Amino acid sequence: MHIPSCQPHKVEYVSGKVFFTTCSDLNMLKKLKSAERLFLLIKKQFPFNVSSVNKGKICNEMQRLINDDPESWLNTISIWKNLLELDAKKKRLSQRDANLLKRKMGENDTVITKKLKAEQMQKTQENREYQLEKQAEEETLAQGNFLTSREKLQLEECQNEAAEAAGTPSQNDLTFRVSCRCSGAVAKTFSAQEVGRIIGIALMKQFGWKADLRDPDVEIFIHLNDIYSVVGIPVFRAPLASRAYIRTAGLRSTVAWAMASVAEIKAGALVLDPMCGLGTILLEAAKEWPDAHYVGADVSDAQLRGARDNLKAAGLEDKIALLQVSVVELPLPSESVDVIISDIPFGKKFKLGKDIKSILREMERVLHAGGTVVLLLSEAHCRSLTDGEESSIPSNSEGRRTDEPGAEKCLIPEGETGTSETVPPSLEASNQECLPKIPPFGSLMPVECYKVSLGKTDAFIYKYKKSHSSGL
Amino acid sequence: MKLLTHNFLSSHVKGVGPRGFPLRLQASEVRIMPVEFNPDFVARMIPKLSLGEVPTEPIQGYEQNEDFLRTMHHILLEVEVMEGTLQCPESGRVFPITRGIPNMLLSDEQTEA
Repeated sequence: MHIPSCQPHKVEYVSGKVFFTTCSDLNMLKKLKSAERLFLLIKKQFPFNVSSVNKGKICNEMQRLINDDPESWLNTISIWKNLLELDAKKKRLSQRDANLLKRKMGENDTVITKKLKAEQMQKTQENREYQLEKQAEEETLAQGNFLTSREKLQLEECQNEAAEAAGTPSQNDLTFRVSCRCSGAVAKTFSAQEVGRIIGIALMKQFGWKADLRDPDVEIFIHLNDIYSVVGIPVFRAPLASRAYIRTAGLRSTVAWAMASVAEIKAGALVLDPMCGLGTILLEAAKEWPDAHYVGADVSDAQLRGARDNLKAAGLEDKIALLQVSVVELPLPSESVDVIISDIPFGKKFKLGKDIKSILREMERVLHAGGTVVLLLSEAHCRSLTDGEESSIPSNSEGRRTDEPGAEKCLIPEGETGTSETVPPSLEASNQECLPKIPPFGSLMPVECYKVSLGKTDAFIYKYKKSHSSGL
Repeated sequence: MKLLTHNFLSSHVKGVGPRGFPLRLQASEVRIMPVEFNPDFVARMIPKLSLGEVPTEPIQGYEQNEDFLRTMHHILLEVEVMEGTLQCPESGRVFPITRGIPNMLLSDEQTEA
């Protein structure tokens, strides 16, 4: 069976949300690893102008989100329904196939399965609009059902499907719930509850849907800020970030996956996480890049027990070995490890017994020349790495990095409300500067830095490469 | 603990250095766990192994020799030491293996989760 290749196109990235178009089905979409949640886009438009404090006027504008173009609402709902039906059919189909194998097949059964397959082929030709939401922002939530970190993607609809689906009678008995997030200027005038109510009432008036706060058919998600007004439907009940294969998550899986993806894990590599905790990073890495030997180490009995459970639950015990050792006394020969990925513990939850410099020194020792280190660092870690160490290097350390020509990128997801005094409160992603700048550490050369949000705090994914002793 | 992992470990006892390899393994409980055979993976790991007195150059064309790879696969990946000890050959210090996890902490430290 030939599945058409559905590369995402028209990808647009705006402040923690990625909008894209694709015709992939739910199974493919479920595999997105660096996004927190996925939404089907209903509307994306310019932010509401709240400079005039006329609440009534803005209220009307909000209602127009629905009333000006009820078509797009109905279209998106029907696409969403189709997606779920298709997915359910596939599941029934695969269950049916399993059953058929167990007992003798009757003629009727084969006919039914063939028919369902034909329908599926049609559906996969559609294009749909999605929004993926990734970013963490500080906002008020109306019904409080959402995670703080998201990424939004948008996909475009196929027009034929849209025309057909418009105004089907079965859409009148839908129950819904509105979840709203407001930040920026809008939040000063309206609370999330108010917006939720305005939209909810408009929906009831326009389509006759009933509100159900407990177990609605459809969840309507609205995000209003200074950059955009976005409305969408969450595609899955559970966020993408909640992985079926991770029993107990430590670090959030999206960040763990992102760290593994910049680590350049090649087939046959020896990959070490010397402070693995519950093993989240190793799980994400081993799942995506299975052709490597993974080793996790931790000092804590409890964490290792949790990690072992996770490995078992994920079926990844064969790929990941566990050791009870200290990160500053690794029982590994020098230059024996290809990749090190680690979330350096910070915050109130963990007490970091050793300082970050001793940790980096031991990591440097066991790493192969040309090997990669990817760390998740807090601002405090960055500060202690910048102070004192390598003081002979000027603030612009470009000259030292002979391996990577000027490669300090800073990608994204930055909080709209700006998080600390060292971060410029810009709303667009800044590609020029990565704050804070960290100097090389011995033979470890900084390559890239990415700021990520962990919900309440921000952190930095920092990538180093160990230079060969000959190069300087 | 798999034998592949064991091959990467060396003693970190102070002052021991390269004489701390390989750690002497004594197993009191061993399990054989079937693992899916991936010839490419095994072939890639072989050059990484430290095989002691065995000549360091593998036989020509070992990557294509399926029997050889299957044997190595079985030894390196399917043998799990569940209980036993690892001993530093130089200092004599002993580290326990419990439920498949070696405890090689040098000091008595342990952080509570």
